[in-house]
Amino acid sequence: MPDPAKLELLTRTPGESGFQVHEVESSQAHLLFKPKRLPESEWELTAQPRGPDGSRNYTLRSFRRDRYLLLSPKENFLWELFDGSHSLTEIGKAFHFQFGAFDYGVIRQFLAKLYHAGLLEEIAGASDFQRSRPDKRGRRWARAGNSLLRLPSRLSFKLVHADRYCALLFNRGGFLLFHPIAFWASMILTLIALFAVIRLAPQAREISLRLAAWPLLVTTIIISLLPIVSMLHVLVHALACKSYGRKVREMGFFMLQGIVPTFYADVTDIFMSSRRARVIVDLAGPMVEVVLGSLAFLCAYGSTPGLGQSLFFGAGILLWEGAVINLYPFSFLELDGYNILADLLAMPTLRRQALALYPTLPRRFRTGEMLQRSEWILLGYLGLCLVSVLVYLVMHLDVIGIEIRDWRFTG
Amino acid sequence: MVSDFLHKVTLFQDLDGPTLATLTSLLVLKKIKAGDTIFREMDASDALYVVERGTVVVSKHVHGDVDVVITRFHPGDFFGEMGLFDAGPRSASAQAEIDTLVWLLRRDAFHQIMTDHTDIGAKICYRLVGVFIQRLRATNEQAREAIRWGLEATGYSPTTDPVLLGRKST
Repeated sequence: MPDPAKLELLTRTPGESGFQVHEVESSQAHLLFKPKRLPESEWELTAQPRGPDGSRNYTLRSFRRDRYLLLSPKENFLWELFDGSHSLTEIGKAFHFQFGAFDYGVIRQFLAKLYHAGLLEEIAGASDFQRSRPDKRGRRWARAGNSLLRLPSRLSFKLVHADRYCALLFNRGGFLLFHPIAFWASMILTLIALFAVIRLAPQAREISLRLAAWPLLVTTIIISLLPIVSMLHVLVHALACKSYGRKVREMGFFMLQGIVPTFYADVTDIFMSSRRARVIVDLAGPMVEVVLGSLAFLCAYGSTPGLGQSLFFGAGILLWEGAVINLYPFSFLELDGYNILADLLAMPTLRRQALALYPTLPRRFRTGEMLQRSEWILLGYLGLCLVSVLVYLVMHLDVIGIEIRDWRFTG
Repeated sequence: MVSDFLHKVTLFQDLDGPTLATLTSLLVLKKIKAGDTIFREMDASDALYVVERGTVVVSKHVHGDVDVVITRFHPGDFFGEMGLFDAGPRSASAQAEIDTLVWLLRRDAFHQIMTDHTDIGAKICYRLVGVFIQRLRATNEQAREAIRWGLEATGYSPTTDPVLLGRKST
């Protein structure tokens, strides 16, 4: 019997002469190949609530590489067939009968996704080939450019073993935060604080004038307060995640969208839990600002008029405003309000989908192609984000305009 | 009428009127109904086909009852040219997608042209070489795509990192 046919793959390193040749079994690169997922002990699959178009997505977690994938209904169908007993040809046929389309592109992309997440049994030699492939970083100037682009990520840091610390903190009293009594106590506190704010409102002008008289002190206090509150905020997110028995993958500091310095808790594992759990985890963080803001207002209400009262009142305003901004979903940023909206709509990648839809709109309107219900939602999200940003800009331009006029008047 | 049609076929574009008349006498007209097979993969090959009307689907067997469609031929196209030079088995199957009319140039007729009308034979061969090159390039491209697919499907994938699900609460 002749030796099995081989494929020779040639690779080159950018900026260098010469090449490398890799030999792989060609029999592994045809349609009789039978993809096989890892044993069930290596992954976890959870069904998501139905989306606006009635379809159901799934989240798939790889224990081996600690990665999470969002599976579309088509991908979930394929996942079920990747049991090692169906060849790609058979899977293609089954896919065709189920969805009415012989789309090998979907199968190929999904396979690549699964290999990347370490969820399929790898063919001996495949990972060696990946490792032996040349460095793709390219020439020096390209590396320098990449290095500049990676600058925001260099400003980030993360806490190692965040899950262990969070579990410790949760077991040693953190769980009390998630008792119904704690929730109702927060609500009552907020109502009382609201009453205090109403009572203090007539003095708002005097309070703000007192704060304006101490700009350096007020700025120092705000700058010191913000990181502490931000850390507490993400810690409560993390503890809420632990209250559902899910893993906190990491905690740390990073530049949100590459520009906004932010503390964070990676609670991706909550996708393996219910929608209710996700919404509660999202709400837990802003509750820190609500409760601390309420306490600040109560302190202001109990203080005699003076700088102390003004600082408490100012802190209360800042904290409550922080909670509102965090819960506002239409800012293009993936803040807590956005996450809640995405969970309620059962569209976990709402922002990404909306941004991907935008470039296709001119063609679709030109060709008269109808938008589906879920796409109208994406369009609505984009529109509201755009309007919100415009309103924000206009309001702040107005503020600048007033300041300029005031400066000219006083000057 | 026939010579008007043949003059539009790439293969015979270098031939003048009288030459085409000579050639026409060597061609055989064949009608094929929609769905009928013209030849099967592994059949003995003995002729070249020129499509005058209809559509011909050429496919290659992959596995079980699955064939992969390689290409389609429309009026003015020709196929089965390997059969003019090589008696080896057909490399693919050809079937009519709709009612089709084809002209056959048999190998023995072609050899007669090459012997008796060397100038005509040279012109046809020159055109054939051009078409061989074009089809070989297309085949190379298809082979590259197939290999890329196979590699990606079996974990040798050089694709970029896929987008993963993640939630950073801030």
